[in-house]
Amino acid sequence: MVAFIGRRALLAIPTLIFISFISFVIIQLPPGDYVTSYAAQLRQQGDYVSAAQEAIMRQNMGLNDPILVQYWRWISNIVFRGDFGHSLEWNAPVGSLIWDRLALTLAISSLSLVFTWIIAIPVGVYSATRQYSILDHLFTVFGFLGKGVPDFLLALILMWIGFIYLQIDVGGLFSPQYQNAPWSWDKLVNLLSHLWIPLVVLATGGAAGLIRVMRANMLDELGKPYVETAYAQGLSERQVVWNYPVRVALNPFISTVGWSLPALFSGDVITAVVLNLPTTGPLLLQALKMQDMYLAGSFILILSVFTVIGTLVSDILLAWFDPRIRYA
Amino acid sequence: MNSKRWITALAAGILCTTGLSGLAWAFQEAPMLAEQVQAGSLPPVDERLPTKPAVVTAIEVGQYGGTWRRAFNGPGDRWGPTKLMEERVLKWTADANGGAVLTPGYIESYSVNENSTEFTFTLLEGLKWSDGQPVTTEDVAFWYNDIFLNRKIVPTLEPTFAPGGVPLELEVVDERTFTVKFAQPYVYFLQILAKDSTGEPSLDRPSFLFPKHYLSQFNNNYASEDELTAAAKKFNVAAWTDLWGSKGAATAWWSNPDLPVITAWKIETPPPADTVVMVRNPYYYAVDQEGNQLPYIDRIEHRLFQDPETLNLMVAQGQLDMQDRHLSLANYTFYKENEARGGYHTVNWKDTNIWSLVPNMTVKDETLAALFADAKVREAFSVAVDRELIIELTQSGLAQPVQAAPVSGSQYYNEELASHWTEYDPDLANQLLDEAGLDKRDDAGFRLRPDGKRFSLVVETSDAAHAKTLELLTENYAEVGIEMLPRVIDRTQWDNNRANNDFQMHWIPFDRMTYVPADPRRLMGWDSFGNEYFKWYSTDGAEGIEPPADDPIREIWALWDKASQSASVEEADVSVNEMARIFGEQGWVIGVYGEGPVVNIVSNAMHNVQPDLVQDDIFRGVGLARTQQFWLEQN
Repeated sequence: MVAFIGRRALLAIPTLIFISFISFVIIQLPPGDYVTSYAAQLRQQGDYVSAAQEAIMRQNMGLNDPILVQYWRWISNIVFRGDFGHSLEWNAPVGSLIWDRLALTLAISSLSLVFTWIIAIPVGVYSATRQYSILDHLFTVFGFLGKGVPDFLLALILMWIGFIYLQIDVGGLFSPQYQNAPWSWDKLVNLLSHLWIPLVVLATGGAAGLIRVMRANMLDELGKPYVETAYAQGLSERQVVWNYPVRVALNPFISTVGWSLPALFSGDVITAVVLNLPTTGPLLLQALKMQDMYLAGSFILILSVFTVIGTLVSDILLAWFDPRIRYA
Repeated sequence: MNSKRWITALAAGILCTTGLSGLAWAFQEAPMLAEQVQAGSLPPVDERLPTKPAVVTAIEVGQYGGTWRRAFNGPGDRWGPTKLMEERVLKWTADANGGAVLTPGYIESYSVNENSTEFTFTLLEGLKWSDGQPVTTEDVAFWYNDIFLNRKIVPTLEPTFAPGGVPLELEVVDERTFTVKFAQPYVYFLQILAKDSTGEPSLDRPSFLFPKHYLSQFNNNYASEDELTAAAKKFNVAAWTDLWGSKGAATAWWSNPDLPVITAWKIETPPPADTVVMVRNPYYYAVDQEGNQLPYIDRIEHRLFQDPETLNLMVAQGQLDMQDRHLSLANYTFYKENEARGGYHTVNWKDTNIWSLVPNMTVKDETLAALFADAKVREAFSVAVDRELIIELTQSGLAQPVQAAPVSGSQYYNEELASHWTEYDPDLANQLLDEAGLDKRDDAGFRLRPDGKRFSLVVETSDAAHAKTLELLTENYAEVGIEMLPRVIDRTQWDNNRANNDFQMHWIPFDRMTYVPADPRRLMGWDSFGNEYFKWYSTDGAEGIEPPADDPIREIWALWDKASQSASVEEADVSVNEMARIFGEQGWVIGVYGEGPVVNIVSNAMHNVQPDLVQDDIFRGVGLARTQQFWLEQN
């Protein structure tokens, strides 16, 4: 087991180096660079930027250096000093932008993940054990609806309902008066009154898919001889189902739990944009649009690192959960 | 549209003074400041205000206090906050009729010599920075010697402030008075100042002024190499020169709360906060007609939003007190429907953008370039457009069919030019195209170019909101046998295509058509129909493409060279009018619609927001409305 973990961890290192380089290259791919978009923005708003000034800006920002030089400058600052560089657009250190928003992003994403599982697992199990019952059909319909309706649309609909019928102020996580206020009981209540919309949106989308997965896995397992044997031993249905087939059916959940790490970080970008959430997702989108290269690059890098680490965690969990993996 | 002129008074070579007679003022101040005075943390109001403060006549004398809530969509949107509070020696402000008047700002008086080569300004006596330090000509000399002429900070001379290639000269007369001199007459200098301030670094700074007592620590003429490096480190930028420039971390009021300013408000919580907050400047130099120190409003909060729909919700929920940015005419009905619910009303201003099709006169495809050069083809482009239909379907019927030309109300307005080729006449368009030698058609009914290819035009826009308009234009053009291929592309790509001369036709808001000489570059090809030509002109032939010897654009350039050196405004205006005439008659740019309303959402508690003002970059947007005298009803 230790050797297995060690092997996996070692493999992750070259992967990370490769990924960091790719992230840097990716953000250089679109035509133009930050100076182009910045100058365009200034011009649109009536400022005057000459070609000479643009050239000087490029020079100052080191945009003319060979890509390897730029990459080394970037990655060495991150690795040795924890400095992710400067966001050109926000005129602030990338670190201060990302970490500030990360806490809320993590809170929302992990809450919605928990909700997703709370909904998906029991419903999936019920659907499988009561196949073709009325409730199973009902869940199936809702499942397909939840899968089919795009998150952003659901977000818009919920905002509209909140706005028209519930008379609450929607959009964002706080009412304006609490936005800059220090934490207090009232602020927490205010947060909760806003939080349900993103949670419902994110959880329904995710749960709909997982219900189907859970149901299919369970159906595969339920017919197997060990289940029959368990029943034959005189165990109740609840004991049989929850102790044996459910554990096996959970296997794919565990092998993908690592992928939820990057999802936790990026949140659902479009939903967050629509709901005006102060999370990291919209920031990433904007950074990509503006070619704010250090900000965008740091995002892509962190997401990739999370994916690698997440996969590692999944592998280890799975190996612990299912001994067959270790020797495969 | 009304025929009233927007520009009602012009600064000429006369002596103008601000401040009223020698009345003994008894100044009042905001309660929040009175508290600080009582607590001893602020000197009394009489000591903070200039001896004779500038008077901003409020539409209605207001109440102090309150927070003005607005929305912005990120750091790229800094002109939202900025235009609320720009300061100039002379600034366009609205008069009672909604006209734009050039009004002295933080100066007591100014004068212009007879041939417009020397401009003398006298600062208000007792004018102070927001930290209480006096503003003197030392700050002016600092701007001139250590910034304007400092090639490390301002790398290139801006042509606007160096007509004929000779930079303006500064002479300090005394503690409050200074003179700006040019090598040649410069009649539009004051108007250009009112729009562009003193150029780099950035037009959100007051003209001629930088706080020397604070900024010299970041300037290479005062601070040592080590100190500069330390400063750069403190503000987290790569080099000390990055502290300056358009968004200089140390010198931009909106990112550095420590920077002394003379504006009505100053930044308290800078970006990247989700809510950017500005708070009143206790030393602001202006009072209303009753001697109340301005501004009336205590704080301004800009809340970050990401999606336009979120902004619409904020509007409907009454979360904004006054805002026009990012609101769209297409949602006009929605704004009106939710007035009662959101506790606001709409105040319409006049838009001066003319949405236009711009063919690229220097397009790389030579056959196409030859077609664009043909006046018959351009006329056909224009009369083939059913402007009324487009306005009805995309602008809630609220805009006007207009040509790209000075807009109504401008003193350069000419009805003939504004309606030149705007009559919808597909038959005429067909006839013109036939005459231009495009009489052969392919199986699909589209015309063939002289080289046998189908006559198609790729039209690019950077905003998906305009896709519908382009669809309608495509139908119009198909009727006369031209295939239009609309493309909605990324803004950066769009700009790149223009910069690299890599587009056939663009769909753009053609602006700055109010007071043309304040920024005549639109007429001269800049960022538009002749971008490469303009590059050639502005770099003296070093870059860009040279226009043919008989191209009328050369006349336009010659006229501007003449206008900018004329000895009087009257003389110069003759040339400017002529420029507009040539531009209009050539029909290089195909104006489709414009002059619709700009919608302002104004909370019912907000007072003194004047209706019917002109919204143009030249007049600095909302700045024309004199935001210091806005006030919020206090319960």
